[in-house]
Amino acid sequence: MTEVQHKGQCLCGAVAFTVTGDLPTPTACHCSMCRRHTGHFLVSTEVQKTALQIHDETQLRWYRSSDRVQRGFCATCGASLFFDAIYRDWVAVSMGAFEPPTGTQMSLHIFTADKGDYYVIADGLPQNPQ
Amino acid sequence: MARVDITGGCLCGAIRYSAITARDIVTLCHCTECRRFTGHHWAAVRVLERDLQISGSAKLAWYAHSETARRGFCADCGSSLIFRFNDADFLGIAAGSIDTPTGLTAGQHIFCNEKGDYYEIADGVPQSESW
Ligand SMILES: [Zn+2]
Ligand SMILES: [Zn+2]
Ligand SMILES: [Zn+2]
Repeated sequence: MTEVQHKGQCLCGAVAFTVTGDLPTPTACHCSMCRRHTGHFLVSTEVQKTALQIHDETQLRWYRSSDRVQRGFCATCGASLFFDAIYRDWVAVSMGAFEPPTGTQMSLHIFTADKGDYYVIADGLPQNPQ
Repeated sequence: MARVDITGGCLCGAIRYSAITARDIVTLCHCTECRRFTGHHWAAVRVLERDLQISGSAKLAWYAHSETARRGFCADCGSSLIFRFNDADFLGIAAGSIDTPTGLTAGQHIFCNEKGDYYEIADGVPQSESW
């Protein structure tokens, strides 16, 4: 049986990728770094690095936002794509990049103690202050 | 609508700005392009061009996603910062880039017909299918 594949890409299409397997339930991160990088907050799905195939990395750039994390974006269009836990075996992929249907539902908010003051979280999902 | 003094910048700090907003509400856009640009969806406040001062603008990169509008981001860290129509005298500044406290409130969801399938809009803020 072939495993399901989920395709995604940046806004301009220069960076395209495929994730093999079902997408784990996405997490919304409201920390101030994710908020600045995305322009609102980050919703991403953590997949095994071995499950992510990036088809063309020519325009992919990495910004080291902390000791353990680098953030991947497209140099042409600026799309926020990847949150790479450098020393771990997973990478978080931005949900907005995926073609529908994603087949998954957001399940958790984290770092809500740092959330922006201009919106409320009202979807009833669990909220973790850290 | 009230105008608000704001400051903000990108994640790496190369780009900083100060502005007086044209409105005190944040518009949340769920269109496919905004979702791809941000990784989730767009949230921005309107600022007249003449009310915006940017430092580090040499690092501000632009992508023209259509013939009528373009998006600005930091070339060093990739932070999503600006949406603007080419012929308008105002811009949308990413709310997540604004220093806290922002003094702003979410005021409208737009292009909800294009929203992602993995989340619900449940905050009671008015929703529309276009602008
Ligand atoms: Zn791109
Ligand atoms: Zn930057
Ligand atoms: Zn949009």
